[in-house]
Amino acid sequence: MIERDVGGLRCFEVLELLSEYVDGELDESTVEKVEGHLLGCPNCERFGQNFGSMLVALRKESEHGPKAGLDVMARLLQQLRRATTEP
Amino acid sequence: MPDRRKQDDLSSDRDLVAQTAAGDRRAFESLVERHAAAVLRLATIVTDDPVSAEDALQQTFLSVYRNAASFRGDASVRTWLLSIARNAAYRLRTKHGQEQLMEEPLMTLGLEAGWGSDNPEALAIAAERRETLVRALQVLQPIDREVVILRDVEGLRGPEAAEVLGIGERALKSRLHRARLRLAAALRASSAGNPRDGEGARNDRT
Repeated sequence: MIERDVGGLRCFEVLELLSEYVDGELDESTVEKVEGHLLGCPNCERFGQNFGSMLVALRKESEHGPKAGLDVMARLLQQLRRATTEP
Repeated sequence: MPDRRKQDDLSSDRDLVAQTAAGDRRAFESLVERHAAAVLRLATIVTDDPVSAEDALQQTFLSVYRNAASFRGDASVRTWLLSIARNAAYRLRTKHGQEQLMEEPLMTLGLEAGWGSDNPEALAIAAERRETLVRALQVLQPIDREVVILRDVEGLRGPEAAEVLGIGERALKSRLHRARLRLAAALRASSAGNPRDGEGARNDRT
């Protein structure tokens, strides 16, 4: 299964290119080949979809992830004020 | 009198750095408020210690204040700031674990990540649960975690992340892809109820 040649690419080659594909960093002809493979290879297509979903979930971490809390910010600003007013 | 805070919110990062260099403390504090969360996230990943991370946060902005005049503008302010933060955090690291990552064959990493498996959906389902995602990120070694955080959480472009990490763009792409596959493996292991929460995903399968 992982040796299938679909659309001019083998499954392993698609695995190698997957991050560059989802990041939009491949040239047009390689994108066409990857997409041709994904259309004809349900296994790679399913993995690619789920890999992409993981990246979407990661992006949400910047909204929900740890923030500099009010106490941290208050300490930081106080320390910076002190440090930057010292002669 | 114009609302200075609103005006600062609209200023570009570059304007705020220029104003900081001219001694404008309000502009400096706006810069701090704008970027403190991202700096703290990166510092926490590198130091793995909240106290050291907060020290790195302070050192980063002190350095920014003192060196604002030398900001040349060929990088984005965020890239510049995160580079300073990463250096500060590495200097403060108290836990120096083994940093050498195993260079497993990509196919091994792919198989562990669920490529070719009957149930690749386990990956997306696990990633949707924030707690599982955060735990899986913690399983990664810092060198993997920081590249994922910079590119996929903070949303830096490839060249910006490469600059922060001090590596070339080709190396960045390779490191990022491997780190993402290791994260996927950790998520799958976690969702399979592995008591080590995916730790074994890095080493168990060959």
